[in-house]
Amino acid sequence: MHVMIINGSPRVKQFSNTDKILEEFTKGMCENGTTFEQYEISDRRQWDAIREAYYQNENILIALPLYVECIPGLLMEFLETLHHREDKVRLSFILQSGFAEGIQLRCGEAYLEKLAGRLGCEYGGTLVKGDNFSIRLLGEEQRKKVTGPYENMGREFGKQGNFLSDTCRSFTGPEVFPAYVRWMLSLIFQTFAKKGFNRFAKSWGCKEPLDYKPYE
Amino acid sequence: MILIINTTTDQEISRQVRAFIQDTGKEAEIIEAGKMNIHPCAGCNHCWLKTPGVCSIKDDYEFILKKIIHADQLWVISDTAWGFLDHKGKNIYDRILPVATMYLKFSGKQMRHIMRYKQKTDIGIIYTGDGDREYLERWNKRAALNFGSRSLGAFPVETMKEAIACM
Ligand SMILES: Cc1cc2nc3c(=O)[nH]c(=O)nc-3n(C[C@H](O)[C@H](O)[C@H](O)COP(=O)(O)O)c2cc1C
Repeated sequence: MHVMIINGSPRVKQFSNTDKILEEFTKGMCENGTTFEQYEISDRRQWDAIREAYYQNENILIALPLYVECIPGLLMEFLETLHHREDKVRLSFILQSGFAEGIQLRCGEAYLEKLAGRLGCEYGGTLVKGDNFSIRLLGEEQRKKVTGPYENMGREFGKQGNFLSDTCRSFTGPEVFPAYVRWMLSLIFQTFAKKGFNRFAKSWGCKEPLDYKPYE
Repeated sequence: MILIINTTTDQEISRQVRAFIQDTGKEAEIIEAGKMNIHPCAGCNHCWLKTPGVCSIKDDYEFILKKIIHADQLWVISDTAWGFLDHKGKNIYDRILPVATMYLKFSGKQMRHIMRYKQKTDIGIIYTGDGDREYLERWNKRAALNFGSRSLGAFPVETMKEAIACM
């Protein structure tokens, strides 16, 4: 199988969490001889080539970050330049996000299924998982802990050619956290997480408090 | 204040909306954004971690953002593509990130970002073309969570009177 992969993130490849996820995912996917080509929506110079490859390939995978509960505006701008395909082509998605709970991504996932239909493609399912915001902020080793599990999902996709198996469906993790976890996390948000964000902002040269109100 | 942003280039829609609103005696500001220079969010995170509340992209959106944070209602008039908002409409939503802070909390059972301003801006959609109304309604409810507010609904442009009744 040959897979055409589109990274639908507006973030440049170097800083894109989706790209780091794809790095691990494709390792697993290629184990059984599957090959791939990858493109970046963030680089408008690639758009002509992406369109051309889109019409030539039969297995297409769009990996994207959730942007305000659905697909990023930039990816939509690209999709607006495509036309409906009449031939048999399978379109699958990797949808990843910042918030951790499965429930956060379901509305976006629902659109992707509709989108595949509207584009005239067979829907190959969506690999849904959150808790990926920090990938770009982490060092190599910590990052691997977050992206590593995608390798196995790549393996699964390499075998099945879609994300419809129970293994892929259960990759999302909990839909919502149980009450005691929420309570614990709330505590962390107000303490460690807050400090961590403040420290991180400082390292980026931030001079204002993070809840600064510039337009009030 | 009711803020209406027309991201289409069809100013006739704005004219009709304005006329209907005048009948109701309410006050609204309509911004013609169809030809404005508004880039998509590039996900740089500067508005959270480097210049809190300020977007790093210097274009016409800053003017809109300053209006949004003082509005009780935001209505986006948008064309649709593949059943959803087209990119111009979606960009208005994506670029809203500076109204949230990096800080986190639980809102009910779900994680959310703590809002930067006290003002709660309810949001609604008026759309043209072959939009999937049921989905747009569902999505706009989720999108409202990002404003810490409520959804006012999604209305095909032919039913704009219904939308105006919600203003
Ligand atoms: C404009 C914008 C909107 C976002 N909206 C959501 C959202 O609605 N829900 C969520 O869980 N994460 C949201 N995120 C977080 C991203 O999905 C997350 O950080 C992702 O890992 C980014 O991947 P990338 O680096 O490949 O772009 C948003 C990020 C940005 C920049």
